[in-house]
Amino acid sequence: MHRREFLKAGVALAFAAELPTLARADTNFDPTPGTWRNFQVATRLEIAQPTGVSQAWIPLPSVNQKDWIKSSDSQWTTNGKATLARDPHYGAEMLHVAWTASEQPPVVEVTSRIATQDRAVDLTRPGKPAIDLAAADRKFNTTGTELIPVDGIVKQMSDKITAGKTTEIEKVHTIYEWVVENTFRDAKVRGCGIGDIASMLKTGNLGGKCADLNALFVGLVRAAGIPARDVYGIRVAPSKFGFKALGTGSEVITKAQHCRAEVFLTGYGWVATDPADVRKVVLEEPPTNLAIDDPKVAAARKTLFGAWEGNWLAYNFAHDIALPGSTGPKLAFLMYPQGETGNARLDCLDADNFKYIIKSKELAAA
Amino acid sequence: MSPLRAAAADLQRWSAGAQPTFSLPNTTGANVALEAGRDHVVLVHFFATWCEPCREELPALNRLAARAGGNVKVLAIAVADADQRVQRFFEATPVDFPILLDRDRAVAKAWNVATLPTTFVLDASLHPRFVVETDFAWDTIDPGKLTGSFAVGADGSTSIKNASNR
Repeated sequence: MHRREFLKAGVALAFAAELPTLARADTNFDPTPGTWRNFQVATRLEIAQPTGVSQAWIPLPSVNQKDWIKSSDSQWTTNGKATLARDPHYGAEMLHVAWTASEQPPVVEVTSRIATQDRAVDLTRPGKPAIDLAAADRKFNTTGTELIPVDGIVKQMSDKITAGKTTEIEKVHTIYEWVVENTFRDAKVRGCGIGDIASMLKTGNLGGKCADLNALFVGLVRAAGIPARDVYGIRVAPSKFGFKALGTGSEVITKAQHCRAEVFLTGYGWVATDPADVRKVVLEEPPTNLAIDDPKVAAARKTLFGAWEGNWLAYNFAHDIALPGSTGPKLAFLMYPQGETGNARLDCLDADNFKYIIKSKELAAA
Repeated sequence: MSPLRAAAADLQRWSAGAQPTFSLPNTTGANVALEAGRDHVVLVHFFATWCEPCREELPALNRLAARAGGNVKVLAIAVADADQRVQRFFEATPVDFPILLDRDRAVAKAWNVATLPTTFVLDASLHPRFVVETDFAWDTIDPGKLTGSFAVGADGSTSIKNASNR
């Protein structure tokens, strides 16, 4: 344990104890379930410089949760051979397309439709004990992954942060506050980050993006024995609450991938959380580099423990995914289109050269 | 070049025993074995193109190898990085040493690499002698200090400091 981390943990715990007395933030950020929105997301992918046979894997929305997202069928056109594939462990769906060397240029267009709505749960109300997670699901969502171990330094830090806390809500909220207080969004990190949380804790470099910061949150919560999971997806619309940092800027959402996190609290079910977006508001919300006590930050911090806005779609919850038909490595997560040509994995974060473009359109209510 | 961080760490003496040998594909698809470095001081350098300090450290490693005049070999291992991303990076930042692709982290895991960058300094029999688990100011070190430093110093020192720490 680094001395600096220990000290920071202490500060965060002290701060968390003050939270219940915080005044309500001035900024209105109040996601409220009740209005479903329909979106169509279209991905056009082309292997720009094919060298022999090529393959691509496009993540498809494959989360269906009756209280906040409905994923409909996806449709596609391609000059390759397309197969709908499903990860056996997490149910993550993807379109797998294979092209022979003669099919040039390799192109696929995929269109998916989803419906989503705001999420919010009132954690100040008593929970319903009947809402619980089956033992197998509890185990699945408290187990470590390749980059999210729940032992070693992650367990040590989780224990330190949650020391003295007894209920699930207290423990999870304390970890959420610790992540908000101690991490930062690093604009230089490519894509959404790697999510190697043990390395983050070991080096003390707690900068990153959503795949780092929310993975750290999930790992710390899992290490406390409480189910948690990353939810990998993409923003599809601007924020109706006026947060520029928490929505799209145009119909082109090629680089709008974003992962969130859920925790399972007995009595409440799967609860929406997003500490990484609190740090995004700190860094990016105009006029940028906001103070931690700025009203916008305070609003995001308060709201994103228990709620999020329905301007984002979830692809999947998956980790350590083997791409069917590939001899290449597993993916830590599947959030970007993937491709290979000549058996070399393409750079999924280099959309312009890969190349692919993703567009979103809101549809009229059905 | 931007200055390397003044707080760069020292090379710490390695006492955990031998590391497993490996053979990995390089960026042209040919396999390169650790064994090829036998009879030289070898720097096994784990990095990733997304890792910012790594991007400054790789050219410094190249300069170190050049100054060592063949006495120090570098094997750079890209950990879980996309092939195309690695190729593009070294097109823009060419180096003279081989770049190996540890696509599934198998070697990084076998060597217990917990952070990137991490560099091991191996002696001529390929036994690890030093390790640094962050970026290191290779421009500040005399290559002879690496090749001649494998016995614990008369003062009992267990690390090699970079000049910026002095």
